[in-house]
Amino acid sequence: MSEPFEPKIVAFVCTYCTYAGADLAGTSRMKYASNVRIVRLPCTGRISPMFILKALQKGADGVLVSGCHPGDCHFAQGNYHARRRWTVFRALLAFTGIPEERIKFSWISAAEGAKFTELINGITGQIRTLGPFEQYQELQKVIETQSTY
Amino acid sequence: MGIQEQYRKEAAELLSSGEVKLVIGYGEGSTAERRRPVFVRSAEYVSRLVLDGSCVANLSSYLVPEGLLSDGKKVAVFLKPDGIRSINILAAESQLDPEQVVILGFDIEGGQAAPLPGRKASDFTALIGSLKSAGLSPELQKDADRLEQMSASERFGYWKEQFSKCIKCYACRQVCPMCYCRRCIVDVNQPQWINTSSHTLGNFEWNIIRAFHLAGRCVSCGGCDRSCPVNIPLRLINHRMAKEALDTFGHYAGESAEQQPVLATFRQEDPETFIL
Ligand code: SF4
Ligand code: SF4
Repeated sequence: MSEPFEPKIVAFVCTYCTYAGADLAGTSRMKYASNVRIVRLPCTGRISPMFILKALQKGADGVLVSGCHPGDCHFAQGNYHARRRWTVFRALLAFTGIPEERIKFSWISAAEGAKFTELINGITGQIRTLGPFEQYQELQKVIETQSTY
Repeated sequence: MGIQEQYRKEAAELLSSGEVKLVIGYGEGSTAERRRPVFVRSAEYVSRLVLDGSCVANLSSYLVPEGLLSDGKKVAVFLKPDGIRSINILAAESQLDPEQVVILGFDIEGGQAAPLPGRKASDFTALIGSLKSAGLSPELQKDADRLEQMSASERFGYWKEQFSKCIKCYACRQVCPMCYCRRCIVDVNQPQWINTSSHTLGNFEWNIIRAFHLAGRCVSCGGCDRSCPVNIPLRLINHRMAKEALDTFGHYAGESAEQQPVLATFRQEDPETFIL
């Protein structure tokens, strides 16, 4: 019998808010889906869209990018800059046909362990329904199997 | 006197008076309707300059590389409005001093070159403002709409086919006046962000990042689109980015030398409906 599909989700989070929120979820013993791999960065302003593409290239089925609420950034403005970049990047992904529903953005503060738990469970459920991101993974497989490259 | 004669004369005056050290213009190309850049350093050679409806390339690309302006001397360059916008962006991004660029401005109307009055980029601010109010190209919008009406997976299929043709020659980057980075992200190999072989996935990544880095900076000169040897419609993806910058942030690339780059600034009230 085939195993049910377990999506791989990569979460790029800022250390000051969302990571602390995830930590709070942990210390409060809230359960969330183990499908998520967290990558901690200093600030959402440091999260380049390259990271998202790289995660997809390496086989992620979904990506979450999350940081402090507007006004709460440890570096005052990082998340405002990030927000503009995301807006433009999302338009670009949509225009090239990369499914928007696989790439999510959120604000989660250090106090929102419950929001983190809910969000991760929600996203994991949605991406499980969508299935693996085959469009991209097939292209990657071509690279790995064809010696001409 | 025709426009070509007039501009040759102006170029000769600029060179012989010593105001500029170099004039960058257009010359005869390999076929009757092609033009290639010409670099004139002495008034005796201005007869090599050609100006007509075939002069479409954005010559501002030649200003920044190789330290051409680092001696502080002035350079004159033939520019259409798109090229003048490029000068503004390069100035706003601290790549050049607009005072060093003497503009020989013209536009192409009904297949003919027509003079544009002005010498410095700031002389064209009203003209660029009127281009902004006229809006982005409706023809490109029509083609973009056709794509937007497809489902996401059809669109992915469309671009997959287009990008699969890319041979990673980087002509689109070399020709672009806004692509001046000494080390392009695609050449970075520690870590290697983008697959460098010309397989479809690497091409996807390359073309997405190229377009992203030009968001709010591209002036739609069409250089990349014309230079792509495999005819990938790069203009569509550039247009989509320009539209996003204009519709969402009111940003029209290259309005002035003081304009903040769209992705290096923000407003607190920027939209964020997609953020959970
Ligand atoms: S991206 Fe293409 S159209 Fe835009 S400025 Fe560069 S060369 Fe011109
Ligand atoms: S010019 Fe065309 S083929 Fe060459 S790298 Fe750019 S998109 Fe690819």
